[in-house]
Formats: sequence, structure tokens, C-alpha cells
Amino acid sequence: MRTAVNDDLRAPGADTPDVAAEPTGPRRALITIYGIFALAATARAVVQIATKFHEAPLAYLLSLLSGLVYIGATVGLTTRRRWSRGLAWASCGTEFVGVLVIGTLSLADSVAFPDDTVWSGYGSGYVYIPVVLPLLGLGWLWHTRHMAHPARP
Amino acid sequence: MRTVIAALFYAVVGVGLTLAVWTGISAARHRPTGEIQMVLAIAVEAALLAQSVVGWIRLPGSGIAEPVTFVAYSIGILAPVPLGFQLARIERTRWGSICLSFAAVVVAVMTLRLAQLWGLFS
Repeated sequence: MRTAVNDDLRAPGADTPDVAAEPTGPRRALITIYGIFALAATARAVVQIATKFHEAPLAYLLSLLSGLVYIGATVGLTTRRRWSRGLAWASCGTEFVGVLVIGTLSLADSVAFPDDTVWSGYGSGYVYIPVVLPLLGLGWLWHTRHMAHPARP
Repeated sequence: MRTVIAALFYAVVGVGLTLAVWTGISAARHRPTGEIQMVLAIAVEAALLAQSVVGWIRLPGSGIAEPVTFVAYSIGILAPVPLGFQLARIERTRWGSICLSFAAVVVAVMTLRLAQLWGLFS
């Protein structure tokens, strides 16, 4: 049963009856998690760079990169522009590659990573959410690729 | 005054985890976030604000090892619950409960980290 609220959420031009509307719930849950990680990773990198950049410049720059990637994913999932889904795909993809590469490097070469990033040890400091989250994000984008997308987050 | 701050930390962790478990149960039962849960979320945010303010007031004489990290955490910790609250308000399904539950877990964990930075466990 379609309600007035659901109709209100549908994007213009997305009223073809055979196209299912994207449910808002899972995307909002992803926005919550990505938003909090964007804040955590970016704040962590800024503190690291501001207070002790010389100790591990590579690790702290990668820390900052991870923060920017989380911001990209959050913006891509929250906005409804032409580029939104592309940004979300690119961010989640970069995030998945990043967590695998940084995770492996941090275990193989602990000298270059004397201090943790969000992606160190495949995100072990964050109960491995960083390695699962991109899979959830990519899975969601794939699942909703043919759906009508609501105009609001 | 150490005990006052410790009591505040533990109270926030306790109330935060209560909200997390309660909204988690609601999500498992396919329920949207209820009114009392929303009120509890406001109470959690008020306690977090009190905790941060007390931390800032006591910071100058505390001599803790990482003051910048402590301040960053005490500011950042104020963001998750309003985000979860807003999404729980507009998403009147189980997913709204999941949003608020996750935010509550995060602030409880962040409070433990704040307590650790304060030197409560050392």
C-alpha cells in the first residue's frame, strides 16, 4: 500500500509504476554510520596532523584520506543530485580498497604505521566496522541500482 | 573531585547503553523509536553536554597526557545522538531505531575513551 508520505518522497519522473521506490530506512542507517565515521576519522586525522605530524606523516595523511572518503560516502548517500550515486560508488569502492591495502600494510610494515589509522589492522580498533561497512554500502548501491530514488535522505 | 567526574562518566555510559539496548530491542521487534526513548535520548545528550562542560572546566589543572585529543572527543561526542535522534524522528520504521541505537553505542564507547584519556583507568 502506497501512502501519501511515500509518494511525497519519490523523485519527479520516478512515478513509473513498474519501478519500485527505494526504501529510505537502510540508506538512513548507512548515513548514520558513515556520518559518525566521517566525523571520527577526520577529527582523528586533524588532531594527529596538528599535534604530532612528524612522527608518522604517511599514516596521518592516509588517516586524513580515510576521513575524506567517509565524508564523500556520507554526502553521496545523503544528497540526491546527478553525481550523488557516482560519488557514493567511488567513495565506498575507495574505502574497500583502502581498508584492505592499509590493513595489510599496517600488519606487514608496522614501522611506517607506528600509530593507528581507522583502517589499520582492517579496522580492528573499530570492531572491524571499517572492513564491513564498504560491503554494506556497495551492496546497498547495487541492490537499489534500478530503483526510483527518493528526493530526500 | 575525581569521584564526581568518574560518577558522571559511568552514568553516561550506563544511560547510553540502556538507550542502545532498548532501541536495539525495538529494531529487532520491527518497532519505530518510541516517545520515552526519544526523551531518554535527549537526557543522554544533556548528560553528554554536562560531561563535556565539566571536562573543559577541569581541564586546565588536570595535567592529562593528551589534552587536544580529549577536547576533540568531548566536542565530537555531542554530534552522534542528535543525528540518530533526527533520523529516528523522520524514519518511523525499525531503521530509525537502528540509527538511534548505533548513535547510543558510539557515545557510550566514546565516553569510555574520554574516561581513559582523563586517566580514570590508570
